[in-house]
Amino acid sequence: MSFFSRSFFIFLIGVIAPTASLAQGADRQMLLRPPADSWPGYHGDYSGRRHSSLEQITPQNVKNLTLAWTFQTNLPALIKSSPLLVDGVVYFTVPENVWAVDARSGHQIWHYNHPTPEGEHIGNRGVAMYKQYLFFLLPDAHLVSLNCKDGSVRWTVQVADVKKGYWTSMAPLVVGNHVLLGVSGDFDNITGYIRSIDPETGATQWQWDSTPPAGTPNQTTGGMTWMGGTYDPDLNLVYWGTGNPTPVLNGSTRPGDDPYTCAIVALNPDTGTLVWSFQVSPHDTHDWDAVETPVLVDGDFRGEPKKMLMQTSRNGYFFVLDRTNGKSLLTVPYGPLNWSLGLDKQGRPIPNPAKEPAPDGRLIAPDEGGMTNFRSPSFDTKTGLFIVDAHPSWSIYFAKPADGLYGWAGADYDVWGKGVIEAIDYQTGKIRWTHELGPRGSGAGVLTTDSGLTFTGDALGNFLALDSRDGKTLWHAGSGSHIVSSPTTYELDGRQYILTSSGSVLYAWALPEAE
Amino acid sequence: MRHHPFSLGGPLLWGLACSLGMAVCAGQTDSHAPEYGAAHGSARRNSYPPDQVEAGRAVFRQNCSFCHGRDATGGETGPDLTRSRLVTQDVDGDKIASVIRSGRADRGMPPFDLSADQINSLVAFIHTRVKNAAAAAGRGGNGGRKGVDPSDLQTGNADAGKRYFNGAGGCSACHSPAGDLAGVASRYQGLELEEQMLYPKNAKSKITVTLLSGQTIAGTLAYLDEFTIGLTDSSGMYRSWRTRDVHFTVDAPANAHVEQFSKYTDADIHNLMAYLQTLR
Repeated sequence: MSFFSRSFFIFLIGVIAPTASLAQGADRQMLLRPPADSWPGYHGDYSGRRHSSLEQITPQNVKNLTLAWTFQTNLPALIKSSPLLVDGVVYFTVPENVWAVDARSGHQIWHYNHPTPEGEHIGNRGVAMYKQYLFFLLPDAHLVSLNCKDGSVRWTVQVADVKKGYWTSMAPLVVGNHVLLGVSGDFDNITGYIRSIDPETGATQWQWDSTPPAGTPNQTTGGMTWMGGTYDPDLNLVYWGTGNPTPVLNGSTRPGDDPYTCAIVALNPDTGTLVWSFQVSPHDTHDWDAVETPVLVDGDFRGEPKKMLMQTSRNGYFFVLDRTNGKSLLTVPYGPLNWSLGLDKQGRPIPNPAKEPAPDGRLIAPDEGGMTNFRSPSFDTKTGLFIVDAHPSWSIYFAKPADGLYGWAGADYDVWGKGVIEAIDYQTGKIRWTHELGPRGSGAGVLTTDSGLTFTGDALGNFLALDSRDGKTLWHAGSGSHIVSSPTTYELDGRQYILTSSGSVLYAWALPEAE
Repeated sequence: MRHHPFSLGGPLLWGLACSLGMAVCAGQTDSHAPEYGAAHGSARRNSYPPDQVEAGRAVFRQNCSFCHGRDATGGETGPDLTRSRLVTQDVDGDKIASVIRSGRADRGMPPFDLSADQINSLVAFIHTRVKNAAAAAGRGGNGGRKGVDPSDLQTGNADAGKRYFNGAGGCSACHSPAGDLAGVASRYQGLELEEQMLYPKNAKSKITVTLLSGQTIAGTLAYLDEFTIGLTDSSGMYRSWRTRDVHFTVDAPANAHVEQFSKYTDADIHNLMAYLQTLR
C-alpha cells in the first residue's frame, strides 16, 4: 500500500465516521423511540414518565457515583430547564439563553443570548428539537429557531402579544411536523392557547383557545398553557394541561365550571381539534393550574388493560383517566386538602364555596404553589409506582371587592409547607412509601430507572438517589443551591450519565471510569 | 433517642429554608441593617423620574423577576419586595444597593454585577412599585397581587377567641397573654400578626445531641438535613455532626401550630385574631 492511499484511507475515516453520527439531529424515529444515547424531548420520550431503561447505575453501585463534569452559566438565573441530549450534545436554557455543551466533557460548544427587557423572566423550561433545528421561546413571546450546529438563528416569529400580558417560558413539544407551544400569563384577563408552528417556515398551522376572548359576558379568561404536553402516537392525541381561570382569586364574573381552565385536554396534533377534556378543578379560585405532567401509562387497572393518563395535580388530587376518552378511573387526594366537598359523578372535585378567597381570609390546603408544580414526577414501570415531589402545605387566601376583577384580584400568603417524595400506587392512590425532603419544600423533579433508582433532590439542596422500592437514601451530594429542575439520563461510550442542575450549575454524574 | 430528622414535620426555620423566600422572612431577620423606628422608616417616599423607573423595570425583568416575580410582588423563590421590611426601611438605596451588590448567600440570592446607574434605576423601580402597589388596590389597573389591611381582619369575636385560646385551641398550653404574648399586638399588626399567629416562622427550636461517648450538647437548632445536624451552643459557636454519628432530639414548639391547621375553622382564626389584637 502506498503512502498516498494509506493517508487517503485515514482521511476518509476521519471525515465520514463523525459525520455519520452527528448529522441526524432529532428525527421522527428518535422522538418516537429515543435511543439510549439520547434525551431528545423534555421528558425524554413522549410518555411523560421520565423513566429510563438504563441499568448501569444500580442500587448497589450508586454509592460510587462521582462528578463527570459541571457546567457553570455564571448567570444569576436558576436553571429550570430539562436538558436535551442529541448526537452527544446537551442543550439547555435559562431565559434569553441557550447553551450547547459537549455531553462528554461539559465544555461549551456555543451560547445563544438574546436580551429582551419585555416579558416575565420567571424561568425557561428548555428547547425542543426537530431534525437539526432547535426551538426556543423568549420572554417577549417570540419563538426562535436555531441551527443546532452553531446556534445561528434560522427565523424568529412572534407567538403572543407581550403588551397584553403574555410571555413564554415553556419547552415546545415537537410532534410530526408540528412545533406545539403554549403561553404564560397570570396578571391579565387574557385567553390561553396552544399553537402549532411549522418547523420549517415558522408559519402558524393551527391554534386552539382554552377560553373565549376577553370581555365575553359571564365567561372566564385564562387557561394558560404553561408547560408542554405528552403524546400518544397510536391514538395520535396530544395531552396538555391548562392553567387557572382569570380573574385568579375572584370567580364572581365567571360563574360555573370555567371550561377549559384547570383541565387536561386531548387534541389532534394535526388539526388542533379538541377530542376530549377533563377538568381537574372546576371553577378554580386558588391558582391551581392543571399543567403538571399528564403521564401516559399502559397497564392493568384493577384487572383490565387500560391506556391511562395520570396526573398529580396542583390542587392536591391524583387523577387516573382512560386516555382514549377522558373518563375518570380514580380521583384521590395525595396530601392534605380542605377546599372540596367531595367528587361529582365524573370524578371531578366539587369546590366548596366557603373556601373561596374572602375579605377576612380563608385557611386553605394546599398553598398556591400547590401539592406539586411544574417539576416532573416519574412513573416507574418496574414497580408500578407514580413518584412525585409533593408539597403538603397551608396558606391564607384573601379577596375583597376593592381588589377589583382584573388579574390576580386578591392576595394569598403561604403559611407553612414541607417537601416529601411520595410513591403512589396508581390503582388505589395509596402511598406506598414517603421520603421527607425538608421544610418549605423542594423544586426538584423525579427520574426513575429500570435498575431501581429514583433520582431527585431535597429542600436543602442535596441531590438524592433513592431505592425505588422503599425510598431509602442510597447516595447524596450537597449542591449548594436550590434545585428547581428535573433529572435526565443518557449513555455515551458505554457510560451512563445522570444530569442534574442546581442554582446556575449543570452537573453530570457517572460511575468512576474503569482504568 | 434518635429521631428521624424529618419526622418532625419540618416546620423549623433552618439556614437554607429561609432562603426559599417569604416576605416575613426577608424583613424580620435582617439583623445587619441599622434599626429604624417605624415612624422614621416608613416616612420617606421619594418620587423618581419616570425614565429611571422604566429603566429599572427593564433591569428588574432581566435580573430579578425570576425570583421576585413580576412587578416585585414575589415569585417562586423570592419574597414580595413591596411588603419587605428592608425595602420599607431603605432610603434611596442605602440598604437595597448593598443587598443587590453582595447578594444574600444564606438565602440563595446571588450577588449582581450591575452598574451604579442600573442599581439606582432598580431602587427607583422598587420604591415606585411599593407606592403603586398600595395605590392600585381597588383600581383594577394593576393585575398583580393585592394587599391585606388591618381593617380586613376585624371580623372575629374577641371573647370567642379568648375561649378558643384557653379551651379548644390549646394555645394556653404554651402561651400566655401576660407572658410571651404581652403586647404582641403592638409588635405585630394586621396580616403580619395573623401570619405569626398561624405559624411563627422565626421560632427557634432547641436541640440536644448525644455523642457516642455519652456526652450531651444542647443548643439552638441551626441546620438539619438527612445527613448533617448543626447547632449554636451556649457560647454562640456553631457545631455540627453527621446525623449517623449521633443521637439527637429536637424540641420544636412551632410544630404545635402545624397540628392546628387541620383543626381550625376560619371562624376560629378570625376570633383568635380578634383576641390577640386586644393584647397591646
